[in-house]
Amino acid sequence: MLRQSGRKWIGLLPSALALATSSPALADGAAYPAALPAEPMPAVAHLPAAWPKSWVLIHDFNFNSIVDGRVVVVDTASANQPLKGIVRAAQFGNALLSVKRGEILTAETFYSRLTRGTRTDAITFWNLTDLKPTGEVVLPGGKRQQSVTYPQLFQFTNDEKWALVANFTPAQSVSVVDLDGRAVLGEIDLPGCSQIYPTGTRGFSSFCADGSLFSVALDATGKVARSGTIRRVQDIDQQALFSTPAWVGRTAWFVGQRGVLQGFDFSGDLAKMIPGAFTVGTAAGAIPEWRPSGWQVINADAAGHLYVLMNPAGKEGSHKDGGTEVWVFDTAKKVRTARIALKAQSIAVAVTREDIPHLVLARADGVIDVYDAVSGAFVRSLGATVAYNPVTITPVP
Amino acid sequence: MAGMDTFAERLTRTIARGTSRRSLLAKLGLGMTGAAAFPVLPVARAATHPEGPAHQTVTSGTIQDPGDRTTCDYWRYCAIDGFLCTCCGGAVNQCPPGTEMSPITWIGTCTNPADNRAYIISYNDCCGTSSCGQCLCNRNEGDRPQVRTQSNNDYNWCLGTGSSVYNCSTAVIVGVALDHPR
Repeated sequence: MLRQSGRKWIGLLPSALALATSSPALADGAAYPAALPAEPMPAVAHLPAAWPKSWVLIHDFNFNSIVDGRVVVVDTASANQPLKGIVRAAQFGNALLSVKRGEILTAETFYSRLTRGTRTDAITFWNLTDLKPTGEVVLPGGKRQQSVTYPQLFQFTNDEKWALVANFTPAQSVSVVDLDGRAVLGEIDLPGCSQIYPTGTRGFSSFCADGSLFSVALDATGKVARSGTIRRVQDIDQQALFSTPAWVGRTAWFVGQRGVLQGFDFSGDLAKMIPGAFTVGTAAGAIPEWRPSGWQVINADAAGHLYVLMNPAGKEGSHKDGGTEVWVFDTAKKVRTARIALKAQSIAVAVTREDIPHLVLARADGVIDVYDAVSGAFVRSLGATVAYNPVTITPVP
Repeated sequence: MAGMDTFAERLTRTIARGTSRRSLLAKLGLGMTGAAAFPVLPVARAATHPEGPAHQTVTSGTIQDPGDRTTCDYWRYCAIDGFLCTCCGGAVNQCPPGTEMSPITWIGTCTNPADNRAYIISYNDCCGTSSCGQCLCNRNEGDRPQVRTQSNNDYNWCLGTGSSVYNCSTAVIVGVALDHPR
């Protein structure tokens, strides 16, 4: 027996070698005078410190085991090895990518016995080069909001030095976390309002159940310095805005369930509604009508064009079914500039920041497809090879 | 719909007051009408139903309660959203062994095609065991973004339970809304 008898796999080597030498399929060794070199181990792949702009983070909700949710690092330019690595995002987790910090951050929930026991909510910091955790901040109270993945449940503010975490017990609040200090600074009550849209230097806005938009500016200690409300920014019954917007700088463009496009300026201390809403319009070929549909239903490219997933069977209840086309809009001219037919119904759309931008589509069957964002031409499919339930896509900025 | 929402809210408050979590619920002062179950996306529909044989039919055995309880078409599931407990070791009105039934639920009003009565259906989630993964059923009619908490099915409503880990959803008859709906 071999010296390292403790390593069981080595014990299998003699039989494996015997099998190999008896195989008639083996080529003549004379054609290869040198044997393949031994390879070093242990060996773990590393990622570059600066991620290529063809890379995206895709959130895998992992429906069949939500406690084991994850985000995956994906190279959309690689047809044969797109999956570059995995970071945990447990139990309805959320994730943030920060190039500036060189980190992925996850906000997660754990139980001491996986499904039972003591609950711990925490933010974990993951290094971009080795995807290993470097630290954490425990969030007190066991109140972190658990939902199907919405980016607006975990957001940066204060130049990415702080994070904001949505809570839901179902009482609603937002925790303010000092990431560098690894400390929770405080909690802002948010009765009747939900989700987090970073606003101003330090602060956030949230949509409220009465149709209003509420903004909070925070002081240097994380306390409320100022707040304000804009009434009637949306009609939740007839034209509810999809929660996840397309960001163009500090402007967020929202699309309504019946196709209105409305911008909000979040650059100042308090949010402002941008005058001049317009609609996605209509087109032939729909029964009964085209409507926006999907999970991450709208996104933007670096130039500020909007890309909206559209469904030709639009009706009440169709808003999460996904789209068969992407419609492209120029927000300055308020016109549709292109229609891109998709190979399959897709639920999430994002646009890379490559020199030649690409549309990345997550399909309902888990397949990831890549299109040329300018021409609309199909480029490649990554297959269903990176995630079980891809629900949101975050391009490398 | 507003009338129905009000009715559902009132009923849910009644249910909430009858639970051991009433002090919590009273403190929160919320209606607790909520998306029972949970998050379901079209994407999940495909992923959780790989190619393969479907579940065998499960019926009540009573002609007054017709339909296959393993399919989304069953009359009680008119507003459900999640894995069907009938396929998970439980039943249409029981959580699977090892789980805990959430006291906070979404109420739906569904018409029974056999007796033409509109029944109040409580979609209690079952919590504390990992995702069932069987018989996903998703309907989004009336669903609104999370800003309208009580009309959104993306929240995990395993709240007020020992564990927030979601397993499956039930569809329990809690009463008759209308003897003769339109």
